[in-house]
Amino acid sequence: MSDILAAILIALADDELIIGHRHSEWTGFAPHMEEDVAFSSIAQDEIGHASAYYSLASTMVGQTPDQLAFGREPGEYHNAVLCERPNGDWAYTLARHWLYDNADALRLEALERSSRPELALLAAKIRREERWHSLHAELWVKRVAEGSVEGRGKLLHALAEAFAEVRGLFEPFDNEERAIAQGWLTVPSPVLGARFVETTTAALDDLGLPVEIEPGAITTELIASSSGDLIATDEESASITPAGGGLGGRYGRHSDDFKALWAAMTATYKIEPEATW
Amino acid sequence: MRRSTIRPRRRPESLVEIYEVFRRSGHKEPFEHCGSVTAPDARMATVMAKECFTRRGEGRHLWVIRRADIHSWSDDSLPDPAADKTYRFAHAYRDVIKKRALARSRAQADAR
Repeated sequence: MSDILAAILIALADDELIIGHRHSEWTGFAPHMEEDVAFSSIAQDEIGHASAYYSLASTMVGQTPDQLAFGREPGEYHNAVLCERPNGDWAYTLARHWLYDNADALRLEALERSSRPELALLAAKIRREERWHSLHAELWVKRVAEGSVEGRGKLLHALAEAFAEVRGLFEPFDNEERAIAQGWLTVPSPVLGARFVETTTAALDDLGLPVEIEPGAITTELIASSSGDLIATDEESASITPAGGGLGGRYGRHSDDFKALWAAMTATYKIEPEATW
Repeated sequence: MRRSTIRPRRRPESLVEIYEVFRRSGHKEPFEHCGSVTAPDARMATVMAKECFTRRGEGRHLWVIRRADIHSWSDDSLPDPAADKTYRFAHAYRDVIKKRALARSRAQADAR
């Protein structure tokens, strides 16, 4: 049973590690110096959260956090595809940062009520830091949304692009229903996904950003999948694009973008896996 | 003549302002200036200051103040005052107790 929980912890960690890695690619290139430090700091926080989840899982699977972070094959990472997409421009980075941290806030809120005290405690701890990430993202998005036509246009385009793949964050984990039955997870991913769509569309509405969501595209489909339908659908469509609509990541199906990221991220580790730093 | 291709980047002045950042390490410590950030408004300045100046646990309390809102005063001629102002320092009164004791003993001697 503990391997079910370990797999979920590793998937959560993978999200944080991969988006943290992408964020870190801005170091030295962010729009201005303060933002460079701030965004690098946020990247380090995310990777720190990953490290904490890996540490919880490491005793269950008998591997070190480093082995989990850098010692797996690409198909063994269970992060959502959205996290692995290249940074593109600042608008896309911002859009994804905002969407991801909104999603993460909902997820952490649910994890705080986990029946596993160590997971509940960790979620509470992470959530304290994530409040700042959300504020950072929110202030940026608000400012750009209310700013020049050019910036607003770029943000709108970026939000639409990132939103199209946001479902991957709410793709059910392996054996999720068993984790729910144990109380390890308290809210099914599709329910969280529906909540996310509700709060995010309301927030976008407040910002005057008309992001159109296909009727039922996220809400109904994700709600329907709480019974496991989504997994079945996925298996059927496995032969189509590996990351259709941002899905597949939880089952190790990634885009080519991930392979490039993975190669860069694990290059140093592979030289001397036993090295300590 | 070679023309330099490096041109100073124009800062969009209306977009950002300088905010001075003050930090304290604990409830009983004073706020001390620790640096400055540029930001479009006070809330963003606070977020930038939090990420830039508390990364290593240096403090949990910050003030950010628009530099334009700070009223300053300075006078470089101050170390060279027009008159002796040692009476404004405690050390100038170091001998007072001794002098007073001496004056009292003299007064008592005169009384006798």
